[in-house]
Amino acid sequence: MKTMSKITIGLVAATLLIVGCGDSGKAAPTANAKVAPTITEASLGLRKTDLYSEDTTVGDMTMYNKSAAGSSMKIKRAFQDAPPMIPHDVEGMLPIKIGNNACISCHAPEVAPSMNALPYPESHMTNFRAVTSIGQDGRITKNGVSVDNTSTSTRDQMSVKKTSHLQGARFNCNQCHAPQSESKILVENNFEATYTRESGATKSGWNGTALTDQLDTIKGEAGKVTAADIANANSAAGSLAH
Amino acid sequence: MSLSRREFLKSSAAASAAAAIGMSVPAELEAAANKAEGGWRWDKAACRFCGTGCGIMMATKNGKIVAVKGDPAAPVNRGLNCIKGYFNAKIMYGADRLTQPLLRMDANGKFDKKGKFAPVSWKVAFDVMEEKAKAAFNEKGPEGVAVFASGQYTVMEGYAAQKMMKGGFRSNAIDPNARHCMASAVVGFYQTFGIDEPSGCYDDIELTDTIVSWGSNMAEMHPILWSRVTDRKLSDPERVKVINISTYTHRTSDLADSEIIFSPSTDLAMWNYIAREIVFNHPESIDWDFVNKHMVFAAAHPNIGYGMRKAGEKSIREGKYTDAEMEIIKKEMKTIVSEKEAPALAPYGYKAGDEMIHNKPGLKHWLIEFEEYKKSLAPYTLEYTAKISKGDPDESIESFQAKLQNLANLYIEKGRKVVSFWTMGMNQHTRGTWVNTLAYNVHFLLNKQAKPGDGAFSLTGQPSACGTAREVGTFTHRLPADMMVKNPKHRAIVEKKWQVPAGTINGQMGQHIMRIHRDLEDGHVKFAWINVCNPYQNTASASHWLKAAREMDNFIVCSDGYPGISAKVSDLILPTAMIYEKWGAYGNAERRTQHWRQQVLPVGDSMSDTWQWIEFSKRFTIKDLWMKDVKVKWGKKDMKAISAAAVKAAGYTPETTMFEVLFANDRAKSYKKDMNDPINTGYDDTESNGDSRGVMGSDGKEWAGYGFHIHKYLFEEYAAFTRGHGHDLAPFDVYHKVRGLKWPVVDGKETQWRFNAKYDPYAAKATKETGNSHAFYGGFLKVRPQGNLNGIKKDLKLSYADKPGKHYLKNKAKIFARPYMDPPEMPDAEYPTWLSTGRVLEHWHSGTMTMRVPELYRAVPEALCYMHPKDAEKFDVKQGGLCWVESRRGKVKARVETRGRNRPSRGLVFVPWFDEKVFINKVCLDATCPLSKQTDFKKCAVKIYKA
Repeated sequence: MKTMSKITIGLVAATLLIVGCGDSGKAAPTANAKVAPTITEASLGLRKTDLYSEDTTVGDMTMYNKSAAGSSMKIKRAFQDAPPMIPHDVEGMLPIKIGNNACISCHAPEVAPSMNALPYPESHMTNFRAVTSIGQDGRITKNGVSVDNTSTSTRDQMSVKKTSHLQGARFNCNQCHAPQSESKILVENNFEATYTRESGATKSGWNGTALTDQLDTIKGEAGKVTAADIANANSAAGSLAH
Repeated sequence: MSLSRREFLKSSAAASAAAAIGMSVPAELEAAANKAEGGWRWDKAACRFCGTGCGIMMATKNGKIVAVKGDPAAPVNRGLNCIKGYFNAKIMYGADRLTQPLLRMDANGKFDKKGKFAPVSWKVAFDVMEEKAKAAFNEKGPEGVAVFASGQYTVMEGYAAQKMMKGGFRSNAIDPNARHCMASAVVGFYQTFGIDEPSGCYDDIELTDTIVSWGSNMAEMHPILWSRVTDRKLSDPERVKVINISTYTHRTSDLADSEIIFSPSTDLAMWNYIAREIVFNHPESIDWDFVNKHMVFAAAHPNIGYGMRKAGEKSIREGKYTDAEMEIIKKEMKTIVSEKEAPALAPYGYKAGDEMIHNKPGLKHWLIEFEEYKKSLAPYTLEYTAKISKGDPDESIESFQAKLQNLANLYIEKGRKVVSFWTMGMNQHTRGTWVNTLAYNVHFLLNKQAKPGDGAFSLTGQPSACGTAREVGTFTHRLPADMMVKNPKHRAIVEKKWQVPAGTINGQMGQHIMRIHRDLEDGHVKFAWINVCNPYQNTASASHWLKAAREMDNFIVCSDGYPGISAKVSDLILPTAMIYEKWGAYGNAERRTQHWRQQVLPVGDSMSDTWQWIEFSKRFTIKDLWMKDVKVKWGKKDMKAISAAAVKAAGYTPETTMFEVLFANDRAKSYKKDMNDPINTGYDDTESNGDSRGVMGSDGKEWAGYGFHIHKYLFEEYAAFTRGHGHDLAPFDVYHKVRGLKWPVVDGKETQWRFNAKYDPYAAKATKETGNSHAFYGGFLKVRPQGNLNGIKKDLKLSYADKPGKHYLKNKAKIFARPYMDPPEMPDAEYPTWLSTGRVLEHWHSGTMTMRVPELYRAVPEALCYMHPKDAEKFDVKQGGLCWVESRRGKVKARVETRGRNRPSRGLVFVPWFDEKVFINKVCLDATCPLSKQTDFKKCAVKIYKA
């Protein structure tokens, strides 16, 4: 704890230095006010060493957790439904290859509890991608329906297919989940997670009806594209002719 | 690591301690989980990061972002993001966000280039910028005032910057970091199609049978597209083939059926080998009907240099380059043809040992017969190609040949659909334009281009490299929607739209991003403004530019959210609103334009780039910028002043400000900000309305907004350029109701496959009479002279031309003859190892945002030097130990990784560039493709030794 408080003090001091009068935006110095220039180039940013030579500069050593899968403490999610980070050693488990995905062998829901592993959740077994094909008339079809646009203003054409297996799109586990080095971070992050569910920090709640909740970002009829929207008649700059 | 150490309880006092020391744990615990219930607002937005262009759903509460998820309604990513995409939630909340302008000054409060930084007001910041920009403009003309622009600009920001630079300053010294990421793709598009951007779309992934990745680590750099490839592969593992072609093994190899490790730069030879297989060994596979109707053949000079500084340039004369550096730079003027490249150059009249004088740079090319093209392919036998291309010294030549043959067979196989993807490997290449055109050759010959599931598809690196850098045209040579600065007709169209007098836009250009750096080093650029990029970390031969910034007489302004390397070496730092603190739009690699609304207020006194440009424009009158003769062409020519009569005729006076002309004109004001419009209701708009922070603005008064919908105005005026000629963007309001649309959007309908008459209304129109399947209707570089491989022949009439001289290839594309050539720096006795640089999945570009997200930082806290275990042994360095990576230009220390995600063969190392502490661009060479001016970050020569 001694080290911690030292670093804390250092960090607070550095933060003050970096952001200057951070919170006093309205009291910004005017043209006439003298503010002693105190912020050095080296104090700014992540690299605090001399920028013009490399003799004393090294990267921050990677120190991944070495505890074995199943025995490590789970890491809380960064925010609700954020992908959980990997708390255990992954040596020997990577790379993920077709026919050899070591992650699945413990995290598949049917085996996860017995392995003391987090099961991959319902979202990972849900396919949101419609079957894409070219129809007989040559037009692009989604789930067999010919479409003008692959993006629509309604949710009618959304495809949500629940299955009992891991979706191919989610096969590359380390695209979202990464081991974490036991390094002290360079800069504090002021993001504050809040949760609408009690288990929000530990468990995926993105399932059931929640999968398609809140997608109408402009509610009701107003969110639909109209002929008038497309005509764009009120846009004075809208065409080259104007 | 115990749970108790992880789980710091968060109180405001302990917050920094927890985050500074806390291990991999977000500090929120049960307490937090219990208190929050609802009150979240969800809205759609585009991801901040790569060119894939995923849709995200973003939750805000109490003016802060609290969560992000993949948008299930977004066609690109359908409910899934990559790790960076999810952490869009946290990128704006690093504790060292810049909150006030910072100026280097002396003890008396005056600007001092050698001074330390102190906070100043926005007013003081603009006062100093105005003074310095005016001085630079008056001394050096428009070329003295430059902008490092960005492929991460929103569409509106890029348009505002471009308008002020080209319409206001009459300066074309604006060029984006996108120059470093896809300029070769662009020149490839122009030379081949006559118009920029891909023919296909991401649906090709679900429709194809074969995915070939050429020098692109899609698994890490376009992870969501890779998830679609993976899904496609897993859905039909027997039929669907995935081939990874790379200079080292990486995650994309992990899923591939075949991995081809090649020697850097020899991708040119491999493409030509496939074409040779088609032309010499499988002529029946050529779709002659398609080729005859849609193709011509073309050639150009090979002796074009390598985009480095030329002999006699000021900084070279002044001795700013060491003898070691000059060993490579002198090749810009002259090389000796090597044994390796000699067979490839034989059709052009060169043999090994010949001097090649590089005196034919430029975009010039001419048309040739098919037989001449065939002649250019003759050298690329399986034996020659395999001999020069095999990249793994431990692989047998037989094995490598078999892979090449298999690759060609897959392309050629009748009925097999093929998509070729590439990004930086083929673009960051001293022959990048050439290799881009070679990709199309193969697809064209087989009639496997611009069709569902078939096509050569150039992916972009940045989120709006397409949408802003290319489509808006924030390059030195471009104007909106594929128009060109060089073309007087295009300048006239833009001048009319911008309501500026004829002749305002400067027809002299050429300050691409490397040139801006070099002009700073030469003392020609005196004022430079950095927008949404980090040019002092991301540019090769970095030590030169750092020095030029700090030691030359110039003034550098950096707008950024965080103090990155570029901010550190600047004279003035402007705190800048980040992505979701402003309204915006991005355009992705499949031509999809996506808009978002301002989600939260900017941190501190930060203001957006758009606001900064528009406020800057208030400081300049017509008299200041237009009504004096100015020097151009690096001081060699004068550009005439706009006459008082012309100014008056345009409806202005000499005192009219650029703000009034370019941004707050009557047309702009017609875009009312109606808060009852459901698109606006409930959403902040700092620029249009001001906001509750009450930031003191550029005039020292509280910022209250422009009073009209500035974002809608900027977008709509820009979109006007696109509508009616093949780039059509939909109206602003429509984009707020859909998850993006792929241009051209005609009558509200997007276009899936361009140039294909079935899908593209412009192609349908162009083929109405001929009934052809395709029309390559791009209009640029379509009137060409005729000749053979060795040059233009004035009296020659090609079989497909009706007379000698210039031929107009209406609705046709080009198949180019391009030889393999060595890059200027290759491993030798002193520097025996190739160095390739690039990115990693968890970090974006220079790491300025992602290194401040604890989860991303801890996932990859440092840039490693990936190498083969036997090389580590040979260089006497150890796994996990430090080594020096040294080139003729500089050296950095990095830890050795022999077992990681990237697994090079002997003879090559890979070091990513996101880490400020492993400043690898000090080592890299600033050679570029001479046509596209894009730097080759993928190959230079280094030595490795223990540190």
